[in-house]
Amino acid sequence: MLALTEVRRRKLQFGFVTGVVALIAYLIIMVTGLGLGLYEAAGTALLNLNGDHLAYAANSNLSVIRSRLSDEDVAEVRSLPGAEAATPIGYVAAVIEFGPDESDTAAIIGVIPGSFAEPEVVEGRPIESPTEILVDRAWVRVAGTRVGDTLALPVGFETRDFTVAGIVDRGYFFFQPGMYVDLASWQDLVFQGEAMQKPAASLVLLQGRDLAGTRSENWRIVTKEDGFNNIEGVQAQQSTVDALRYMGLLIGAMVIGVFFYVITLQKVSLLGILKAIGAPGPYLVTQGLLQVLVVCIVGAAVAVGLALLTEATVLASDTIPINFTSGAMATSSISVVIAGVVGSLLSARQVASIDPIIAMQQQ
Amino acid sequence: MAILQLRGVSKSFGQGARRVDAVRDFSLEVDRGEVVALEGPSGSGKTTLLALAGALLTPTAGEIRVDGDDITKYGARARTRYRRDRVGFVFQGSNMVPFLTARENLLLVGEFGAGDRAALRRRADELLDQLDLIPVRDQVATSLSGGERQRVAIARALMRDPSLLLVDEPTASLNFELGTRVVDALLSEVHLRDKACIMVTHDDRMAQRADRLVEIRDGSVLSDRPLR
Ligand SMILES: Nc1ncnc2c1ncn2[C@@H]1O[C@H](COP(=O)(O)OP(=O)(O)OP(=O)(O)O)[C@@H](O)[C@H]1O
Ligand SMILES: [Mg+2]
Repeated sequence: MLALTEVRRRKLQFGFVTGVVALIAYLIIMVTGLGLGLYEAAGTALLNLNGDHLAYAANSNLSVIRSRLSDEDVAEVRSLPGAEAATPIGYVAAVIEFGPDESDTAAIIGVIPGSFAEPEVVEGRPIESPTEILVDRAWVRVAGTRVGDTLALPVGFETRDFTVAGIVDRGYFFFQPGMYVDLASWQDLVFQGEAMQKPAASLVLLQGRDLAGTRSENWRIVTKEDGFNNIEGVQAQQSTVDALRYMGLLIGAMVIGVFFYVITLQKVSLLGILKAIGAPGPYLVTQGLLQVLVVCIVGAAVAVGLALLTEATVLASDTIPINFTSGAMATSSISVVIAGVVGSLLSARQVASIDPIIAMQQQ
Repeated sequence: MAILQLRGVSKSFGQGARRVDAVRDFSLEVDRGEVVALEGPSGSGKTTLLALAGALLTPTAGEIRVDGDDITKYGARARTRYRRDRVGFVFQGSNMVPFLTARENLLLVGEFGAGDRAALRRRADELLDQLDLIPVRDQVATSLSGGERQRVAIARALMRDPSLLLVDEPTASLNFELGTRVVDALLSEVHLRDKACIMVTHDDRMAQRADRLVEIRDGSVLSDRPLR
């Protein structure tokens, strides 16, 4: 194969462009991983809730933070004809002390023990009293908390100790590791010391069909996915990440395109000679594309290797929200290869249009 | 019988005031086993004539027959096949694929054409031997000397055993001794295998080794005489 022989004999040239492609592909994989990681950090815990719809306070603009539902609201939603099951959920962010001078923020989610909103534990047991708490693995990674440990949560101007009953694997909520307490404890956490009437919940989690769009003066129901997409910043964040990916692909396509265009220009007289001695145009175009594929596939493979290495070393211990899935890596790699082929189409046209007569005119 | 027949061939480039008549009403026949030396000043139309005979250009007027076939009637694919299988080109200057060895440059013709690979390898080794290229056959083209490169070019042109050889100034970059060897190798191949050959040259001493000498001026035949 002429194309492959050239790659083998011009290692420096092709190695260089393969390296550049690898770096671009690596960047795209990292950005994709970051996008996925941020997406998950934004609210996997919400998406993992065992229901399909969520009722928000009507005036909350679908913000979990601002949503406050009264007992009457919860009862009303619960009695909707389409609602097969409904359970109230509370949310509040709290700073948790887990050691002397050590604290971090967590998303405290109040659930009724035994309800379908309560996550299953992967270690330990479910909560049985208002002073018990379930913590997410994401928190365990940060704080090293274990079953039986005590965590101090702020209640009014005091703190209250909660015993860790079990560990769950539900992910993040609002970029914070989730923790689950009795709904009554949640009410204390949020409203202790405040003179007004305590709201019953932030949201109501629902199981049922055709509920989306149902609303009253005080509440409205949307699908869980809509709820997720309305988490503050999720959409802006995803479009930023997408823009970065497309920029990367565009730059990749341009770098590969320019490189092969320059290579083609350098070889115009050689290509003319090959055509003059009987090489068909499509053969030469195919050979060029073969080189593009080799460069892009090797570059993408190197990038995947680098990404796996990064995951195993830099990211293993850290809390950077990057998540590599094999699907995302495959998509990124294939995108890079496609970008490379698209970028080199200009050169393919150039090759196809070379007139073999230049072989005679070069003297 | 003539392998190549040019009848009233003209070729002009450009339009109107910028029109150049590179070849005018040119007629020539080259027989089997005959080497015609084509001599003329710079710009007289020698290269254009070779390009016409090799189907790299189509004439503005006239007829070009090779083995009786009018090649000016060929479409793009037929022209590519014609160049691959029936014509051997030797261009002036460096015309090797630079990253391939001498031997690989010969085997190149097998890359884009059908053909028995083993037979092509045998043919390549035979030609390398005939042209004294065995010692350098595995050297990359860029490391070959001018004379070696020119001989590889001739060997490559002969790979598919074409009936017509078109050679443009094969000795321009060589000294007399080397040039003679290259031309003699070419002549013996043409005579041995009954090919037809047009060899463009500036060098009268090289032209004298051919079977016939055609002088060209401003695109037309000035003189045409046998040398033996
Ligand atoms: N593609 C082209 N477009 C316009 N004019 C051309 C083209 N090719 C050749 N010519 C003109 O045709 C004439 C003959 O050119 P050609 O290359 O055949 O000369 P030549 O006899 O091979 O000269 P030299 O000995 O210098 O190689 C020249 O005047 C040249 O400028
Ligand atoms: Mg010329």
